[in-house]
Amino acid sequence: MKVSLSWLKELVDIKLSAKKLADQLSLISIGVKEFTDDFLELDLTYNRGDLLSLRGVAREVTAITNSKLLFSTDTSSQGEKLPGTPVKIADVNLSAVQCVAKITGLRVAKSPEAWVKKLADCGMRTVNNIADVTNLIMLEYGQPLHAFDQTRVKDETINVRYANPGETLVTLDGKLRKLESSDIVLADTEKALDVAGIMGGQDTEIKNSTTTILLSASLFNPNLVRKTAQRLALHSEASKRFQHGLTKTSLLQALTAAIKMYEGLGGKLTALALTGDFEDNPKILALSQHKLNSLIGIDIPANQVESSLQSLGFTLASHLSSGGLKWKVTVPYWRLDINIEEDLIEEVARMYGYEKIPAQPLEGAVPEKLDESLQNLIYDLKTALKNAGLTEVQTYSFYSSNIIENLKLEIKNLVKIANPLSSETQYLRQSIWPNLLEVVERNLKHGFSDIAVFEIGKAYYVEKDLPKEEYRLSIVLCNGTDNPLSELYQVVQNVWKILKDVMVTKVDPKNLAANLCHPNRYFELERNGKQIGGLSEIHLKILNKLGIEKRVAIMEVEFS
Amino acid sequence: MEEKITKIQNEYWHKITKANSLKELDEIFLKLFGKNGAVDKLSKDFPNFSANERHLIGPLFNSTKKNLETAIQKRREAVREASYKKLESEKFTFPLDKWEAKKRTGHLHLATQFKEEIIKLFEKLGFSQFDAPHIELDKYNFEYLNIPKDHPSRDLWDTLYIDTTGLTIAPGQMLLRTHTSNFWPRLMEKGHTPIRAMSFDRCFRYEATDARHSHTFNQFEIAVVGQNITMANLKYLSDYLLKGILGKEAKSRFRPKYYPFVEPGVGIDCLCVFCHGKGCKICSGTGWFEIAGAGMIHPNVFKFTGLDPNKYTGLAWGFGPDRMLMLKHGIEDIRFFLEGNLKFLEKY
Repeated sequence: MKVSLSWLKELVDIKLSAKKLADQLSLISIGVKEFTDDFLELDLTYNRGDLLSLRGVAREVTAITNSKLLFSTDTSSQGEKLPGTPVKIADVNLSAVQCVAKITGLRVAKSPEAWVKKLADCGMRTVNNIADVTNLIMLEYGQPLHAFDQTRVKDETINVRYANPGETLVTLDGKLRKLESSDIVLADTEKALDVAGIMGGQDTEIKNSTTTILLSASLFNPNLVRKTAQRLALHSEASKRFQHGLTKTSLLQALTAAIKMYEGLGGKLTALALTGDFEDNPKILALSQHKLNSLIGIDIPANQVESSLQSLGFTLASHLSSGGLKWKVTVPYWRLDINIEEDLIEEVARMYGYEKIPAQPLEGAVPEKLDESLQNLIYDLKTALKNAGLTEVQTYSFYSSNIIENLKLEIKNLVKIANPLSSETQYLRQSIWPNLLEVVERNLKHGFSDIAVFEIGKAYYVEKDLPKEEYRLSIVLCNGTDNPLSELYQVVQNVWKILKDVMVTKVDPKNLAANLCHPNRYFELERNGKQIGGLSEIHLKILNKLGIEKRVAIMEVEFS
Repeated sequence: MEEKITKIQNEYWHKITKANSLKELDEIFLKLFGKNGAVDKLSKDFPNFSANERHLIGPLFNSTKKNLETAIQKRREAVREASYKKLESEKFTFPLDKWEAKKRTGHLHLATQFKEEIIKLFEKLGFSQFDAPHIELDKYNFEYLNIPKDHPSRDLWDTLYIDTTGLTIAPGQMLLRTHTSNFWPRLMEKGHTPIRAMSFDRCFRYEATDARHSHTFNQFEIAVVGQNITMANLKYLSDYLLKGILGKEAKSRFRPKYYPFVEPGVGIDCLCVFCHGKGCKICSGTGWFEIAGAGMIHPNVFKFTGLDPNKYTGLAWGFGPDRMLMLKHGIEDIRFFLEGNLKFLEKY
């Protein structure tokens, strides 16, 4: 969210420089990505949806800088004696309310300079005066609005419903969107007009000829908007705000303010429909001083708790109970993120100042040690191999497509990723040694002629229709000789000192699968009657395919 | 010209068929197709010919070139096949009893060295290692951590999911864990309190790889659960870690930050160790750099794992050691960690 500083100064009486304000915000409220003399860009977090509006930012700034708010709220409805327009909400789960204001007598023109600057400082472009009103209101109140050209809306009807199967809509960007039955749309009696919360339709957009608009305001279901935005890969300023959640109170304020702006352009409100229940139910939470102090770890004076919360718009009523001082705290309607006592504690703590929280060592009995035998075994193996002159490498948990192709691996045995970034992250490794062969190839290319490396890490496989993982140790040796296994056989004696009871059995070449190994240089590794790995020279044919012209021996064991 | 071409063809054809090693074939290849090789030289005469001559000689030149290339390729395969055949007669010779392995200097991976350093540091405070699976159920990676299904806060984690075709698990239920935080619900649900646990392990994200980002990376994380765990303890542990790995003058600073599984949630900044807080390029002039995410474990995490949030509180602290190592050692590319380049690994 980019916040225009000159605009912010219309809403809150601050004299701070952009830098000072940015520092304050990032220490007490929210991260600041960037600031200039014209704007601050907030690093918006999911919880603080209220900061997606200039008014929300102004309220926060008031509290943290102890300055005065320069706006009041107005939800006076001018439309009480006016007729309505046809509006239906198919399912209250789609939008709790739906409002439509019909405004006549408008004339499309360029926006005034002041509007253009406000939009630009907030990172938006001007379109025309009529469309700009909706964006200015969205920026100030956080509530997206949409203005439809009345002549293109059948029967002046704006309903909220799910998209029909197979329904399509050409959006403002000229693209044909295929809608699904979980998408919300605004629709007239015939067709969809707008992908709700995301983007309007091209047909009903404001044109130079537009004089009458139907201004629509809704509270679309955040989860449904998010799903549609994800599927269409269409994330707009509006969808962002719907996803964070909006309030009925701000919606009414925004609508009232928009109508006023249109009246300022010479428009006239001639019909108004307000459908749904417009009460925001205030949340009342209990806050105990004991809980607060015991979670933060210091004693914060009661008056400071109260003044901090009050400055943020909370109202408090205190009472003494057996457990100490307690408050009934009423949450301001714009703070949808405050739902439990701990949320209030965070508000108090950040206002009190995180820098004032002292460092206190952990107290109490030290818990019993957990079983770390596996972690210790891993470290012992690593140290032993390092001391034997080997270098530890760590490689990706995936098989590259190069490995899968050249080793002709049976992919049906591999754990597969449903949404890989590319073919290089499609399959999890079932063994480590193939990745180490790639390491050998890479280092030979870089001029190394003696390569002795190992990796201890996880390998992944499917067993009884479930993915599993286990620790494996793999060693590769490429020492420039025609019989590297002879040296590796010696090196692995260091491993057998730690991994006890491993039986090394020479295997008849006829039993070898897949021709991966040298016909006469292969040993099976067994432990307690179970095959746990192998020790072998890799077949030259495989090495050649991977671009290795030298002999390479490997060892791999599973040990978890 | 035609004669020249035929001569080259005959001469080299013979050489190729006689070659018995890849090395010889490589040499022949260079003599033919290398810079100033026989074929290369021939093509240099071309501009001197008339269009008519070129028309006659062109096809012959091309077919000869192709024939020789194919011959080399075929001979290479034959030499290779012969070498594969020879393997059958090769035996494994057991090393002699007093055989000595080659002397080399071994190295532990930089991440392992760092892991040991941090683990030792926290062992002193009574922490134990507890590692959780890489392939994880949605509930441990997300739901128990107060990140419900379809909730917009899920957008904070780009996730790689397991393809469940043919598996006895519903689509979307299994994933590559996006953080080490899956260890705390797994440990908490065992019900043995108090807890002081830590994990240094691999995590995954759906993230395109570049010099600063990788789909595979490490995290180090601690979790503490007990009856009087406070933010002041969190502050102590933050300073303890930073001083432990960056030196005595390092210190931490909390900033508000949102993570669904903690409340309050904080981002932890470290006083810039390069400029000591004055502001420099590395800290973008702020004097601090962001290093970790932390907070007090959210009451919902206690509820989901069967612990009473009215009885227990807890803290958690996690950060990316790869980034820290990059800062500490001036490593420019995060991919160096997993590429196995010995030049890089042997530096440390």
